[in-house]
Amino acid sequence: MSDSISHGAEAHAHHPELGFMRKYVFSEDHKMIGIQFLFSGIIFLFVGGLLAWLVRLQLGWPHAEVPILGKWLWSGSAGNRMPPDFYNMAFTMHASVMIFLVIIPLLTGAFGNFTIPLMIGAGDMAFPKLNMMSYWFMWPAFVVFLLSFVVSPGGAAASGWTSYPTIASVTMPAGQGFESPAQAASGIGQIMWLVGLIFVGVSSMMGSVNYITTIINMRAPGMTLFRMPMTIWAMFITAILQAFALPVLTVALFLQLLDKTINTSFFLPPGTLNFGNWTAGPGGGQPLLWQHLFWFYSHPAVYIMILPAMGMVSDIISTFSRKALFGYKPMVFAIAGIAGLGFIVWGHHMFQSGMDPRLGTGFMIATILIALPSAVKTFNWLGTTYQGNLQLTTAMLNALAFVSMFVIGGLSGIFMAATTVDVYIHDTYYIVGHIHYVLFMSSVFGIFAGVYYWFPKMFGRLMNEKWGKIHFFITFVSANLTFYPMHILGTGGHMRRIADPLQYEFLRPLQPMNQLISISAFVLGFAQFIFVANFLYSLFKGPKAGRNPWNSNTLEWTCPSPPPHGNFDIAPVVYRGPYEYGAPDREDDFWPQTLPPGVAKVPAEEAPHTAEQPKVEKEHG
Amino acid sequence: MHKFWAAVFGVIIVLCIALFVVAAFVPGWWLPKQVSTFGDAADRLFYMILWITTFFFVLTEALLVYNIWKFGDAKPGYKAPYVHGNHKLEVIWTIVPAGILVLISVLQIGTWEEIKYTKNFPRPDISVNQIVVVARQWEWRIRYPGPEEQKRWERDPKGPENWRKLAEFPFEDFGQYDDVHDVNAVHAWMMDERGAGRVLIHLKTRDVLHSFFLPHLRLKQDAVPGKVIPVWFAVNDWNTAYDEKSKTWVDGFNHNTGQFGDRNFIWDLACAEFCGSRHSMMKGRLYIHKDRADFNKWLDFQQKAQNARMPAAAE
Ligand code: HEM
Ligand SMILES: [Cu+2]
Ligand SMILES: [Cu+2]
Repeated sequence: MSDSISHGAEAHAHHPELGFMRKYVFSEDHKMIGIQFLFSGIIFLFVGGLLAWLVRLQLGWPHAEVPILGKWLWSGSAGNRMPPDFYNMAFTMHASVMIFLVIIPLLTGAFGNFTIPLMIGAGDMAFPKLNMMSYWFMWPAFVVFLLSFVVSPGGAAASGWTSYPTIASVTMPAGQGFESPAQAASGIGQIMWLVGLIFVGVSSMMGSVNYITTIINMRAPGMTLFRMPMTIWAMFITAILQAFALPVLTVALFLQLLDKTINTSFFLPPGTLNFGNWTAGPGGGQPLLWQHLFWFYSHPAVYIMILPAMGMVSDIISTFSRKALFGYKPMVFAIAGIAGLGFIVWGHHMFQSGMDPRLGTGFMIATILIALPSAVKTFNWLGTTYQGNLQLTTAMLNALAFVSMFVIGGLSGIFMAATTVDVYIHDTYYIVGHIHYVLFMSSVFGIFAGVYYWFPKMFGRLMNEKWGKIHFFITFVSANLTFYPMHILGTGGHMRRIADPLQYEFLRPLQPMNQLISISAFVLGFAQFIFVANFLYSLFKGPKAGRNPWNSNTLEWTCPSPPPHGNFDIAPVVYRGPYEYGAPDREDDFWPQTLPPGVAKVPAEEAPHTAEQPKVEKEHG
Repeated sequence: MHKFWAAVFGVIIVLCIALFVVAAFVPGWWLPKQVSTFGDAADRLFYMILWITTFFFVLTEALLVYNIWKFGDAKPGYKAPYVHGNHKLEVIWTIVPAGILVLISVLQIGTWEEIKYTKNFPRPDISVNQIVVVARQWEWRIRYPGPEEQKRWERDPKGPENWRKLAEFPFEDFGQYDDVHDVNAVHAWMMDERGAGRVLIHLKTRDVLHSFFLPHLRLKQDAVPGKVIPVWFAVNDWNTAYDEKSKTWVDGFNHNTGQFGDRNFIWDLACAEFCGSRHSMMKGRLYIHKDRADFNKWLDFQQKAQNARMPAAAE
């Protein structure tokens, strides 16, 4: 611990001026790496969004001749109608991009990197070089994913983000090339998908090793475990989840890669499979093996995609309620509980898979119980806002949206966890609704909250609140119009991943709902340009933020904005927990973690909304 | 301004609930008509969870909207109460939901066992309608024991069990020479009072994963390469009759009105697990006959048609 302080102080003492490459590209500074993850994440958010638009175009108007786009993208095959293989590619790559290149990198890569050293009072990560590599290992994945759209034959992967064998894993007999006998699309595309994910996995692994070490070893003096902000607890537990779950995914990816390239048969069953003129196998493996391995990672991964947001939202809500987080320790235990239970519920994705139904019963009980810590967290957030002094900043509105929408995602989870009900709604739009309430309506709102909240710390300027709120309003309304009706589709039995719902008698009455969803999705997408415009404008023209624009307690707000290399100009010492808002016998309504006891008031230059950064660094007290 | 935001959150929640209420009354926007023996229990569980979750949904969202409405205008001098939690509340809101959640899981185990546990499956005997369903890209191949085979069973009680054993060869199984074949149409008859007419399906696939989904029966089961997965159901209603005009059995028959073409009597069979290019075209229909006699008539009819097409197979 003492090591980190001296490092922080030292770095401050003699800033070595770094060249452009070392400063902005191959940076070893956790803040710059976080910002790199942030930028690439936002760029891929638009790639993923574009793919979502294509999916919605097809589902809203399955038989439409698409005028310009049609000629350009897929003319010939079926006139200007979107071919089903294209649709399959679109939904597969939409989910893959959003999950692996947007949400996970934004939450752990961008916010994890940015907040961890700052919030625990460290000068940087434990392993800065490894940290740099964790970002640059994303690049092969970016490149491979993007290139896969244009490879022939077949284009990008089209077997769903879950890539279930045998449709994903079968390959042509040796020497016949890498086309897939199971579908026209995704031979090489699938291989590239696997390779891309392996790189993403390596990147995440390097990140999580770093996070765990940093949080354990490099906390400032006085920063005991139970004085850590929820963001840090969440990042810590997420990193542990990742460290334990990722190897399993990596193994699975390698096995499928071998199946796909050198005709092994880890996921091919004994017996021959027939595909038109081709046969595959006999193998000696099991298709269900992939599902177990995949979900052993990917269920914990869904928590990797929400726990950091939960942590961030907890901090944001407490700050803007000007009130202590209600039930700090129960909140920590709830996260730990979710993570622990998260390892024994993967089978809930496989209730109808042909897995022994008795096993399903066990997974059902564990899954239903996991709703409990989620409920506890929700009640505690509500308790935090109750009788608070709420400042409805854009960050706060997004955080409140997280709470409000996570309730829907958590409650819909209970339907699916109940095996009997899941028989009917499994693989329908009910699941798609659930996914989007937890991943879009919760995680993405959490990300927006985090961006609006930490932007001043990242770039030294505030984002525009008015446009922030307009963006929030349109996003909140259109996202609900997009995702809520999906529950109705699911209740009506609408299967997921079908290119043409009009095929089915029982789905025809639902088509207007599909069109409403598509139109809302287009609005939702356009609204994000407001966000980008605000982001870019504020980057250069936003009003300057002082050190602590929100009057927040946690450590990052004691550094200059943006913090220099090495972060802390004054080595922080922590005297109290992060949520001391509204203490009665004090002048301020906040009480920074670093303010020594006995100091009645926070020094003026750290007071709210100072337009200029303080020129003189003053000692605390 | 804070009241505006409270209203935004509130209105969205009210709209969410309203959509569910409206959907329940618009034809085709809700659970489709339910016709299987276990489907009622499944639907009851769905509604039970719907009521419980709606209660907690309204409770939490109302609190949130109230908090924004009431406390949403930060007053400069004001300080929020200095509280860090409440042990008693914490215990209550852990124990109460825990109790409810355990209750939900216990209450639903029975129906899950009834639908999926092999110990509850019909034992293959002469009263059971055994069917082999082989999924492949992108159709359902259906096979029934033919009329001769069923006659043999009257003399040989072991017959149905043996037919099943034959069906359980996972691969290269073309069945018996006198089996009756069909594509994308599952025929069965409505279960009678004595329980005859339960359907036992041996589900396989020849290529990739598929999922055998009968929405009107609240039944779904993936088909997995290399496995033969048993599926059972029994139907409480019927939807097909011989149609003089088309000279074959047609579904969509509403036996109350005597009319064909009733949407509520068209029971789709869908593939619910992604299976490639034409996944959404992999559809069939469920034909439930009034009774076994009508089903047997259809079976004879189907076999004759089949023999006419493939004279060699008839020998
Ligand atoms: C209250 C807690 C939750 C419960 C009880 C729950 C339950 C379930 C169940 C049973 C399924 C499988 C449904 C099926 O395929 O039939 C599922 C799917 C899913 N859940 Fe949750 N869930 C919860 C929270 C979350 C959270 C917090 C996230 C992510 C942030 C999440 C993300 C997902 C995703 C992505 C899938 C779908 C995966 C796919 O098939 O593509 N869930 N959930
Ligand atoms: Cu899961
Ligand atoms: Cu299929």
